Amino acid sequence: MAKVSFRNVWKKYGNVSAVKELNIECPDGSFLSILGPSGCGKSSTMRMVAGLEHITSGEILFDENPINTLPPKDRDVAMVFENYALYPHKSVFENMANPLKLRGQDASVIKERVTSAARLLEISHLLERRPQELSGGQKQRVAIGRAIVREPNLFLFDEPIAHLDAKLRAHMRGEIKHLQRTLGTTMIYVTHDQLEAMSMADTIAVMHDGELQQLGSPREVYNKPVNAWVAGFVGEPAMNFMDAKIEDRAGRTHFVHPNFAIAVNDEQQRIIASGARQDALRVGVRPDALSISMTKPPVDHITGKIFVTELLGGDMIIDVDLDDCRVRVKTSTEFEGVEGQTCYMTVNTNKWHAFSKENGKAFF
Amino acid sequence: MASREVIQYEGWPSKVFKWFSVVFIAFYMVWTVLPLFVMFMSSFKDLLEAFQIPPVGDWAGVTVFFNFTPTTKHYYELFANLGFSTYLFNSLVAAGGSAVVSVVLGSMCAYSLSRIEFRGKSDLFFWIISTRMAPVVAVLVPLYWIFRELNLVGTLPGLILAYTTFNLPFAIWILKGFFDNVPYAIEEAQMVDGATRLQALRAILPLVAPGIGAFIVLCILFAWNDYLFAAIIGSGGAKTLPAATRELVQPQNIQWGQIMAAGVVTALPMMFLGLIIRKYLVTGLTMGAVKE
Repeated sequence: MAKVSFRNVWKKYGNVSAVKELNIECPDGSFLSILGPSGCGKSSTMRMVAGLEHITSGEILFDENPINTLPPKDRDVAMVFENYALYPHKSVFENMANPLKLRGQDASVIKERVTSAARLLEISHLLERRPQELSGGQKQRVAIGRAIVREPNLFLFDEPIAHLDAKLRAHMRGEIKHLQRTLGTTMIYVTHDQLEAMSMADTIAVMHDGELQQLGSPREVYNKPVNAWVAGFVGEPAMNFMDAKIEDRAGRTHFVHPNFAIAVNDEQQRIIASGARQDALRVGVRPDALSISMTKPPVDHITGKIFVTELLGGDMIIDVDLDDCRVRVKTSTEFEGVEGQTCYMTVNTNKWHAFSKENGKAFF
Repeated sequence: MASREVIQYEGWPSKVFKWFSVVFIAFYMVWTVLPLFVMFMSSFKDLLEAFQIPPVGDWAGVTVFFNFTPTTKHYYELFANLGFSTYLFNSLVAAGGSAVVSVVLGSMCAYSLSRIEFRGKSDLFFWIISTRMAPVVAVLVPLYWIFRELNLVGTLPGLILAYTTFNLPFAIWILKGFFDNVPYAIEEAQMVDGATRLQALRAILPLVAPGIGAFIVLCILFAWNDYLFAAIIGSGGAKTLPAATRELVQPQNIQWGQIMAAGVVTALPMMFLGLIIRKYLVTGLTMGAVKE
């Protein structure tokens, strides 16, 4: 087990920088998720840790030892690949035994470790089969089994459940998290699915265009996004953004938009007064920070027209047209508005965000 | 999984076409199998019996063809007096040797070309294939000169080298395709599991086995059936079956019986080889990506 540190790590392919100036500390035994859309540099980052890509500059350390020049076999990491990368001509047992065999373990030790890993992952009955005889979920368990048979410094999981169906994915999220907690091994988990990162990780590193945007706990990333990009990427349904002007009305700062004029709270007023020396910004509100009703409320509110309603079983998502944009609201299934009607939304101003229009940086 | 058969709706054109294809295949079979059959039968006939042919149109006279006393004297003559056992050995060593050398060098080269990026890679690959584009005769004279200077003419190593020269580009070309189809992630998984690069290569060899099998057959076939190199580079000390057979045609008489027997001796091993690795040959050359 090891602590992993990235110090000013760059990865360049020719003139293209895939990873820029990356600095992350991942404490021993913790679960770090690297989250970002495809092409953000998250896979390059993981492959540099595994030793499958050279590190262009900077250092990656396990505990205090730089591993830049070590070949993969000497790094003692275990990796689960996106497409599982099982050995098609070998049985499940041989697949899982491979890392132990390559390290010259005794046959009896191999047998014991593989059987106990198989029991943990509930694939004991599959040991004689070949990978092509397995379903996606089973293959994925075998790939995880191959990673856990030895006790590595570090687990590297590269979108391991991206190819499973939704139900199995939800199930495996819990299983992988539980597994990591049980084994206590440091884990780096790469994913493009914010739900996976939110639900499993101790720390999330959000990446975009090769740059680390935010490093923090799932709560911090969700509640205190550092910029509009992170705010928009994390959370489902995504955050609503509206362009608004800052106006003083009766001594209180208001965000003003063709469809609303809403006062900020005390703390926000202070932040705007001290920092945001501009007259326009982007307001961000998550769908669950809005409440919708068909009757005009007595407080500041947004007026819009219902575009469409979607019933999601336990909740309902309402798309509402404003003059210049469309927002989504999460509400309960009792909501009775129908398409085309005028509706009113109030904002929980403790939970809304304001971002700079120029660089997207968050004011609050 | 859905049925993979192409469904058909019968109309008169498809019926006509079906009959046409049956007739075509029948003709094609006669065309290809009959000569072999005649060769096989004639090798057991005395010269006089072999030339008994019924007049044109006399279908009943076909029985004459089967009316003979079998004799193995041609085979006896070949092996007892004409040294065909040596030639058979030469053929086996030359074909097998060049196949082994080509497959070992070819798979390493194909692996490098498939996995490693370096400047001029595509040019290098094209150059390798292009060596197969010129006809053999075009390079035979300079090649003969080089071989003579190196004292390789008339030796088995010389013949193996000659065949390898022409098989190796072919091996690289075929095997590169097979390596390309093996997902790189499998080797990466091996390396993360604790393998060196060489161990990782060895681990994926079973996945390209169909390609290697198919290539070995093609390589052996090329060398076994070759006459040009055998006659020129191998002449003298390393005579192979086709070159030896050619010598049975003498100015004063043509040893038809022995030629037929020599033909059978040459053809049979390849037929057996084909039967044994038929599976590889079919799946090998048509197989797509490796299924994980």
